[in-house]
Amino acid sequence: MRSKTKNIGQVVPFLAPVQILILSVIVVPSLYVVWLSLNASTFGQSPTFVGFDNYTRTLTDPAFLHALGNTVLIVVFAVHIELVLGMAMALLFAGGLPFRRILLVAVLAPYAVSEVIAVAMWRFLFDPDVGPVTITLSSLGLPVLDWSFEPSHALIMVGLLTIWLHLPFTFIILYAARLAIPKDLYEAARIDGATAYDAFRRVTMPLLGPAIVIALLFRYIFAFRIFSEVWLMTQGGPARSTEVVAVYLYQEAFRFNAFGTAAATAWIMVVASLVLAAGYVFLLRKQVVGNAH
Amino acid sequence: MRTSKVLVGLGKSAAVGAILIWSLFPIAFIIMSAFKPGQDIFAVPPRFVFTPTLQHYGKLWSEWGMFFDGLFNSAIVTVGATVLAITTSTSAGYVYSRNSSRFLDASVLFLIVVRLIPPIVVTLPLFPIVNAIGLNDTHVVLIVLYATFFVSLGTVLMRTFIDQIPRELDEAAQIDGATRLTTLRRIIVPLAAPGILAVAVFVVVFAWNEFLFAFIFTATNAKTAPLVISEMIGSIDGVDWGVLFAASTIQLIPVLLFVILMNRHLVAGLTAGATKG
Repeated sequence: MRSKTKNIGQVVPFLAPVQILILSVIVVPSLYVVWLSLNASTFGQSPTFVGFDNYTRTLTDPAFLHALGNTVLIVVFAVHIELVLGMAMALLFAGGLPFRRILLVAVLAPYAVSEVIAVAMWRFLFDPDVGPVTITLSSLGLPVLDWSFEPSHALIMVGLLTIWLHLPFTFIILYAARLAIPKDLYEAARIDGATAYDAFRRVTMPLLGPAIVIALLFRYIFAFRIFSEVWLMTQGGPARSTEVVAVYLYQEAFRFNAFGTAAATAWIMVVASLVLAAGYVFLLRKQVVGNAH
Repeated sequence: MRTSKVLVGLGKSAAVGAILIWSLFPIAFIIMSAFKPGQDIFAVPPRFVFTPTLQHYGKLWSEWGMFFDGLFNSAIVTVGATVLAITTSTSAGYVYSRNSSRFLDASVLFLIVVRLIPPIVVTLPLFPIVNAIGLNDTHVVLIVLYATFFVSLGTVLMRTFIDQIPRELDEAAQIDGATRLTTLRRIIVPLAAPGILAVAVFVVVFAWNEFLFAFIFTATNAKTAPLVISEMIGSIDGVDWGVLFAASTIQLIPVLLFVILMNRHLVAGLTAGATKG
């Protein structure tokens, strides 16, 4: 147990570096963004207070709504496929595999790959003219991804890329949780005559519940801020059709110098993340209480 | 009974094969292609037997010299961010592990919440400020940004790992007259090495690969390797795939080896980071 500390002064020097970094780089700037979002301003011009004008303008801007739609599509598509694949792999690994440690390392490998290189490899594999995947698909008479012209295909590419990059995370969370389930439970279920499917439904699923929710929330929050994959794949084009919220924010701020709407977009992102985070913190608390009993 | 066992075995092998192809094929493809002569890169099905060549590396050296400056910048920024993140989170994690008060508990919650703010949000106010104080396009700005976005996870992780070190050890040291700082350096740091390595994996991988902050805050002097590679992808006169793969291989190999070597710490960090708070 941690001991109650009466003299906070003694520990402050140990905490100060972390708290100063966070306050000066994340918290104060984020609060300043609130102020920015309530003013009309552009780079090098003095701002004027406009209330919630920027929020109304952002939320009614078709480009923003389109970007939001794309983001939600990518998040829903990618995160849930990740979950299903990660779960299947966790069960496969937990069921016993030869060379399990080596296979585990192989599955982790994409974690080391930067978004830039991942985009480079996927752009080549799916290149409309020379891409091996494109050529293979078309020689088999299958439809190909025309991602440089067709916005929906570009979003599918981004989705696939996202899944490839983040599957290791989802898999590890689920696999660790699956390994934490005591073997006795499966033994007991077997003695009671349960089939493998029964054991999955009655033992595995309920006990993996918290891990599933945690993996999902983390991935919702992190997938929602997706920027590099989209920017490097399409720069949001053609004609802003594949923008996501973070790319929209970047364009507003650094291309159109519209700091007000960019700031409003930023706070919409923060609020969306915090709403999801509230769910996460609530679950952690519950889990802590659950462990104490 | 026996046939069903064989079927299950076959199904498992097929699944393992699919997983291996999915995870490793794109990586293997890039690394192999970086050594393939000219047209062999475009062969379908991909050629696995070829005469390896260094021609793309030669061209990378002569035409994209700034890629090597980029690598150098990436190395400086990665080392700097890792050292900064580890020292600060270890000392904070130590205090959070050994002490408790309403203020401290509230500030842990604060750390967890801050971790969830999207990084792009802070670029808006920081961009003009960084320009104004002349830190634009320097290593320092990237080091501070990268470290800061990992100190909250780092602190929570270090607290979890330090929690496992028996309190009696630091109490004994303190009875012998050691200060908090000495206890931290002599007792906690050596025993918390697995935690430190877990934090290091996160920060190293992030800092070495990061794109968004580097894209916004650097131009020439501090430009990192991923940024140079992104310029190769977007090059107007068509992509020179051989050179792009050569650069990608050089950027990827060190971090890939690092993750492979540290896989246990990465797994421990991922699970502790997501489920403890």
